[in-house]
Amino acid sequence: MEAAQRDPLAFDALYRRYLAQVYSYAFYELGDHHEAEDATERTFLAALTNLGRFEERAQPGDGDGASTFRVWLFQIARNAVSNQRRARQRHPQAPLEAAALVADPLDIEAGAAARAEAASAWQAIGRLPADRRRALVLRFVEEMSTAEIAGILGKSEGAVRVLIHRALRSVARHMEGRER
Amino acid sequence: MMPLDRDAASADALLTDLYLDALLAGAVLDLVNAGPAGASGRLDPATARAAERLRHDLVRVHPSFRFEERLATRLAETAFGMHIPLAVGGDARLLPFPARPASSPPDDLVPPDIRADAAELVDLDPAAHRERTRPLLIGGALTSAAISLAGAAFVAWRIGRPGRTATPMARAARAVREARLAAATAVRPLDSPAVRRRLD
Repeated sequence: MEAAQRDPLAFDALYRRYLAQVYSYAFYELGDHHEAEDATERTFLAALTNLGRFEERAQPGDGDGASTFRVWLFQIARNAVSNQRRARQRHPQAPLEAAALVADPLDIEAGAAARAEAASAWQAIGRLPADRRRALVLRFVEEMSTAEIAGILGKSEGAVRVLIHRALRSVARHMEGRER
Repeated sequence: MMPLDRDAASADALLTDLYLDALLAGAVLDLVNAGPAGASGRLDPATARAAERLRHDLVRVHPSFRFEERLATRLAETAFGMHIPLAVGGDARLLPFPARPASSPPDDLVPPDIRADAAELVDLDPAAHRERTRPLLIGGALTSAAISLAGAAFVAWRIGRPGRTATPMARAARAVREARLAAATAVRPLDSPAVRRRLD
């Protein structure tokens, strides 16, 4: 991080490290590969050109290598996704085609079952309000801590915990309804 | 909601959070049946099942290799442009462009607190910038906003690089250019038709 701030040419290492995370986040939010690519590109360009303004907020007590760079990057990504959505004037869709990634292509029967289960999960999170869906994606896909999600969404940690808890209960209800 | 309900909701949310920490870390923690040590409540089994399902199904998606490399190239070009002021010497100073380059991201992608910090350093009002449209001076090299920093560096490298007769195409291009220069600067005889027309 510090190397990239001293020399922008060193930004490549940060880009490779966080590309899939930012892209995944954008993809889950926008539900379209091309739109996710656009948002990802804007995020990294904005991060690079504003890298000199990033301030490390991690404390020595947070542990070795602790950094708030990912929170800062995802704040930019969140704005990029919002702008993308506004520009296209359309609502996010559940990216059902990505469910095929989960299934084993060699096991057709199990693959079909896995796809059905995955589709159920996708539908469940696709029906959530935006803030709950966003919090779940950050928690499960990006495997972020509650503190990181709070930093990105601009909420308290307690509020994020309640948000995720309620989102999970909604997903659970949806899944139980389908199983009956 | 009553304060007691709010406390109960917070406790449930905290329990779920602890469970998710363990689940995502791959740790074995039977919170569903046993409950954590010292905790007053137990995690709802349906919520735990939903969490396990989401952990399995919500996979991280990677972009295509072609996209990854294309964006890496673009970032490298942008970084190279940012790198030049450091390379040309300590006296170099970057003045704000009168207009934002088409390739740069819009300001509203930057979080508000960062934008506020930036506003203290430079005047971000576009109307004010329009009034003082000037060329850009970087380390003694005069250029305009229409010429990119990377382009200026490339031209400087092409002019100053050793071994100018590197390729047949370069030699051919130089031969054409020198022939044109020679034709333009050649002394015409006084009795040539062109000179006569001018004198008339």
